[in-house]
Amino acid sequence: MIRRSVRLAGDVHRAWSLFTGAATEWWPPSRRHLGDPESEVLIEAAGRFFERARDGREAELGRVTAWEPPDRLEMDFYPGTDAAHPTRVTVTFTADGDETVVEVTHGPGPESAGLFVVRAPAYERSWEAVLSALRERCQR
Amino acid sequence: MKDAAHALDALGNPVRREILRSLRDAPLSVGEIAERFPVSRPAVSRHLRVLEGAGLVESRAEGARNVYCVRVQGFAAVREYLDEFWDVALARLERLSRR
Repeated sequence: MIRRSVRLAGDVHRAWSLFTGAATEWWPPSRRHLGDPESEVLIEAAGRFFERARDGREAELGRVTAWEPPDRLEMDFYPGTDAAHPTRVTVTFTADGDETVVEVTHGPGPESAGLFVVRAPAYERSWEAVLSALRERCQR
Repeated sequence: MKDAAHALDALGNPVRREILRSLRDAPLSVGEIAERFPVSRPAVSRHLRVLEGAGLVESRAEGARNVYCVRVQGFAAVREYLDEFWDVALARLERLSRR
């Protein structure tokens, strides 16, 4: 399970709009799938979550499974695996003064249940430590 | 990521997930694994073959016996991809909110 949070300037409505409505701007350029660095990334209330290149080609990135503005968004997420083995992303938006804490929880779904099994529980924080510890153990 | 799909298919089976959980603590032989699960030795061997084919475990000789251990590279690439994705994405989102 991956947990990340970030503190955004502005209220929850603005944070929700940035996350869902401006994904084209925050989605990492290195993670575009259509070979167009200026493709759009769209997260829609109706359920689609996809990338669209300037020439009109499209690629599904996942599916919106819960759309509860401005508090909560849930998505099936295909990048990293594929549509047959989606992972699950939950995003929550919590007001904190005049800022908003956005928390992302990213874990396996039923079809990707084994994704985190290999991780040793003692090393939740440091994946590299797990890798080298397990490698050493295997080579002993 | 075809390898990830292959590995995830292999782990669609709960017995194989439990075998992998045992192996992450220590390398084990087929006999030792069979003692821990209500599954026959040939069945354990079959599960291990599937896990090995998916790149999730590897076997090696340890004296006279053969032990299996976790091959962490099986999923490392996918998880690094997902971990790093949110680090980059949320940093960009944060900058966007300050504009």
